[in-house]
Amino acid sequence: MKKILLTLLLLNSALLAEINVAVSYPFIAALTKTVGGDKVEIVTLAKGNWDPHFVVPRPSLIRQVSRADLLIINGGGLEIGWMPPLIRQSHNRHIQPGTKGFLDLSQFLTLIDKPTSVSRANGDIHPEGNPHYVTDPYVMPKLANAIAQRLSEIDPDHSTEYQNNATTFEKKWQINLARWEKEMAPMKGTELIQYHELFNYFLKRYGLVSVGNIEPLPGINPSSRHTLELIKYMKAHNVKLILQDVYHSSKTAKYIAEKTGAKEILMPHDVDAVHEADTLTHLYDTMIKRITQ
Amino acid sequence: MKKTVLTMALMPLLLSAESTYTNYSSSFNQSAFVPDVSLIIDGSYVNRSVSDDEMENYALAGSELPEYNEFNANSGLNLNYAELSLHSDVDQAFTLDGVFHFNTEGVEIEEAYFTTTSLPWSFQLKGGKFKSSFGRLNKQHQHVWDFADAPLVYNAFLTPEGLNHIGLQLQWLAPTPWYMMAGVEVMQSGKEGSFVNESFTDGTSNTEVKAATEPALYIGYLKNSFDIRDATILFGLSAAHGATKTADDIGVDGFDGKTTVYGADLLVKNYFDSYSYLSWQSEVLQRDTSGDNTTTLAAVDETQRGAYSQLVYAYNQNWRTGLRFDTIFHDSQELDPDKMRNRYTAMLEYNPSEFSRIRAQYAHNSAFTDTTTGNYKDIDTFILEINLAIGSHGAHSF
Repeated sequence: MKKILLTLLLLNSALLAEINVAVSYPFIAALTKTVGGDKVEIVTLAKGNWDPHFVVPRPSLIRQVSRADLLIINGGGLEIGWMPPLIRQSHNRHIQPGTKGFLDLSQFLTLIDKPTSVSRANGDIHPEGNPHYVTDPYVMPKLANAIAQRLSEIDPDHSTEYQNNATTFEKKWQINLARWEKEMAPMKGTELIQYHELFNYFLKRYGLVSVGNIEPLPGINPSSRHTLELIKYMKAHNVKLILQDVYHSSKTAKYIAEKTGAKEILMPHDVDAVHEADTLTHLYDTMIKRITQ
Repeated sequence: MKKTVLTMALMPLLLSAESTYTNYSSSFNQSAFVPDVSLIIDGSYVNRSVSDDEMENYALAGSELPEYNEFNANSGLNLNYAELSLHSDVDQAFTLDGVFHFNTEGVEIEEAYFTTTSLPWSFQLKGGKFKSSFGRLNKQHQHVWDFADAPLVYNAFLTPEGLNHIGLQLQWLAPTPWYMMAGVEVMQSGKEGSFVNESFTDGTSNTEVKAATEPALYIGYLKNSFDIRDATILFGLSAAHGATKTADDIGVDGFDGKTTVYGADLLVKNYFDSYSYLSWQSEVLQRDTSGDNTTTLAAVDETQRGAYSQLVYAYNQNWRTGLRFDTIFHDSQELDPDKMRNRYTAMLEYNPSEFSRIRAQYAHNSAFTDTTTGNYKDIDTFILEINLAIGSHGAHSF
């Protein structure tokens, strides 16, 4: 009986969901859910607490991409190491780049930190610019509108609903933005270091200054020489904050904190990166709470 | 002299063109259409317990199992290959891939194939010269392998080149809740290994044994995969069937028959975080060969079996280590058909970045015999391998 009920329930949800959407990261899932409501069935390919650059292209993900009517990615080269084989092996003609079923959100934004020269001697850099725009809450309404626009093209029957949802989101989001602006105001001008250039958008938005990275080059593990230089600089300039991401080892950050008396903060970079950051609003709430405390 | 005059005459023209219409070349700039290009170089230092000259006297024990030296062939320093890869969309319906192996002997088309991107019902068609998706290791390039060389059973049954011929491939992804992929391939026969297909003269009756009509090699496989928490399980069944018509060295008499290779593979890979994992990968292969030997006039019906099993642990992005056991464990033609002929391999890797790898590998091989005396010989091999990649970011499949 329980089984039948479950089957009916599943069947029901399958019938209600009109569009299968596969998204690369949890924040895109949250946005898509907000805009698409019960008209979309969403699968998230990456986990929020793992390195967004290195997602394992497991065959189960191939299956999820093959089922999708729409694939939404972060873009800016963040998925370059794992999305191409998934798309290739999905045998899904509806989500190939250049089709209606493929949406690259970075196309709607201007990326910062675009390098003027590109060489792998400088680490695993992103030639398109810094792809970690998720840390800036101000980009979200723009992305919600982009998703609403694309959902409307795929499913014109519910176009008004998608547009309305995006507009409602934008209105509510403005209240959040105003609150966060106020909460972050005292932090303006604060100098800090971070593990990877993961929070540049957040820092730029609220006027904080990143003076160094724990990794000597993007994608390269910490070296003792670089760490010692960093400690020397932090002592000389009285830098008291370290932003550590959730997926790299925090060993070096702890060591630096111990040597300099700086505070090490575990910062979420996406929805579900830490337990409290379970929604888009809670993501920024958590980031701001942790950095201001 | 003539050239100089011409150049001088053209000079003002060129100069004026450059200074007045600076935008000329960018109007027709095609650089945005350059395909993804990458170059991978693999080199090694090899130290063996027997000299290269001596090595020629030893071969993998058993019938018709030739020794191959595709990679790390010589003692001392080797440049295994410089692999140039090109990839791009052709149009909205096709993508094109070219993989070329440059080595000191010349250039080889490793792969050159098109793939469709717009077939309905989860079908995909591939055509050209490509590595078959038979088994687990066959379609992977050497630089993706966890060890510097292929298992004995791959070398013996499929050649180190693997099943890599001109052909067509059709793959289908089933609409199941888990990953299930079925594929069929037809290929032209090879020049080496289990599926040679050539005409020769039967010396007894003086009639011609004709090569089978090409394409004479048929391959099929079914692969399934699902996740249990952070572990992925992938298992596959494969079969390759084709004509085996091999002329003796002088072109008169030979073997007239057919071969089937069956394969079963299993991979269990558990990720602890974004970088650290433990993987266990195994394959068992069986080769059945039947037909007639026109020299001895004997009917041939033989079966051989081999397997490998390997455990790889990635500690973080920089360090990986692994162990491999591989064996030929059945050969129906031998006096003692179930004698196990084994090799043990261990490796340790340091990856300074995603684009470079240094690997030390040690192997103890007791699967080879002296071809004249038939006595087994233990061979120890140490390989220090370096692999470097430049160009477009190579995203590897699972």
